[in-house]
Amino acid sequence: MERASRSLRIVFIAVPGAFMAIMMLAPALQGLMLSFDSCGPSLRNYDLLFGDPMFWRALANNLIIPAGSLALELVLGLLLALYLTSRPKPSGLVEVAAVLPFAIPEIVLLTLARYLFMPRGYVNAALTEAGFRPLGWLLPNHTLALGTVILVDAWHVTPVVMLVLMGGLQSIAPELYEAAALDGAGTFATFRHITLPLLFPSIVAAVVLRGVDALRIFSTTLVLTGAEGVPVLSTYAYQQWTDAQQPHVAMAASVILALAITVLGLATMAALRRFGAAEPVR
Amino acid sequence: MNHGEAFTARGKGATIIRRVAAPAIVLGAAIPIYLLVKQAITPETESFAWPPFWLPHRITAAHLESVFTVGELRASILRSIAVALMCGVSATVMGAMLGYAMARSRWGRRAGMTALTVTRLLPMIAVALPLALALITTGLYDRPSALGLALVHSALAIPMTALVLFPAFLAIPLELEEAAFLDGASPLRIFLAIDLPLARGALAAAFILGFILSWDEFGFALLLQVTNRTLPPLLYYYTVFGDVGPASALALLMMIPAICVVVALLPMLRGALMAGGFR
Repeated sequence: MERASRSLRIVFIAVPGAFMAIMMLAPALQGLMLSFDSCGPSLRNYDLLFGDPMFWRALANNLIIPAGSLALELVLGLLLALYLTSRPKPSGLVEVAAVLPFAIPEIVLLTLARYLFMPRGYVNAALTEAGFRPLGWLLPNHTLALGTVILVDAWHVTPVVMLVLMGGLQSIAPELYEAAALDGAGTFATFRHITLPLLFPSIVAAVVLRGVDALRIFSTTLVLTGAEGVPVLSTYAYQQWTDAQQPHVAMAASVILALAITVLGLATMAALRRFGAAEPVR
Repeated sequence: MNHGEAFTARGKGATIIRRVAAPAIVLGAAIPIYLLVKQAITPETESFAWPPFWLPHRITAAHLESVFTVGELRASILRSIAVALMCGVSATVMGAMLGYAMARSRWGRRAGMTALTVTRLLPMIAVALPLALALITTGLYDRPSALGLALVHSALAIPMTALVLFPAFLAIPLELEEAAFLDGASPLRIFLAIDLPLARGALAAAFILGFILSWDEFGFALLLQVTNRTLPPLLYYYTVFGDVGPASALALLMMIPAICVVVALLPMLRGALMAGGFR
């Protein structure tokens, strides 16, 4: 049995593996080579890249936005997960509403966000009607625009964090809460000494899952502020590719991004393994 | 798990929060969608008004109609559906292969996890730019059929479909395969005649997830289909260049299948989310 199906298994791994390698790995390696090519092997592309102030802004934003978004997602996701798993159980409608921002296609959500936050958008309209001054939510090169991008990014993916944390909360043995209640532990003590420590592996899973993803930010800034309003590495590369007609500089920028993601991703996983946290993926 | 005690905040403050939370969550989801619907069914002058109207004054079907009558829009809808179908089918077929190998061998599981990690770590832009060059040389760039885009979407979706199918294959008792083997069936035949039919629920879920991944995907579509656009890049251009009415109608159209699927597959998605292949 084992030996007979071995060749089948090899084929079953080789076919999808080869297909994915051709469609993703090979282009990525090709991009790596082209980033060192400027009419012959050279470091010119990286020289141009590092000499461009816009690149450094994009790099900084590419670290600030994911950090802010991840923090916001964790807080909101945890609150929502606690609420949705608490007793008496909220109705199914609330859960569906909480998942909705993730169910909507990303581009549709961003379209919506643009209509909400544009200068004459609904948020400013509501502010004006409440007697406040309208704000420049998407003003290029402005700190507030950075905040808006973080908010919208978190809006889209908080349901993911919420679902992961709900899974963790539901696996905590109910006896522990009964015991805590019998011992007279208050809300905060119960949360601090039972929920939080037992939820830690799920929090770790959410951080790893979302952290790597957040670094790839592209469409949120592109749709909300344009490639130059709040530049990140992906939109910087996109802009070099389309407007600046510098394909090889674009590839150098995306190589830097891939490098940053790999280093940060592997470092996070290694650090978490040292803490003895569970693997995010079985 | 619906029994027993869960963590619940007590006290007056907690009661107030619990009262407020449910309507806040529901309204937070409903109001933006209501505004989108409003923009889709009112004339554009109302959408550009300042201060904006919160309620529709005049209602028009023009934008919704334009989705089905304007040539560019209709072509994009058909193209998006074709690409998503192609992605759903090929990602399910190859995901079934990988998922089966994962369920039946340690080696396969390692291969599946590697595929997952690699797709997770590679940023879209680092693949899409050189891939665009490669598709230009092979003549697959920006085709009206969007074949190149369908191929990338399939590759993106394989780890996710494999992860949805892997537990389904794992749950099939090996005794069934052994019995068929003793009857002289070949390994391929065993897979086709025994494992696949038993995993049909998961196969359907994998197909739907593959379809939706392609339907929603924006980055590759923007970079690879620059004139023969699918819906996400088309919506992007409409939004950025200020065609509020058609953009809203299009956004509604794109949203409906995605919402149905995610809500229907919520339990299954939890597993796929843990695997992280969704975005």
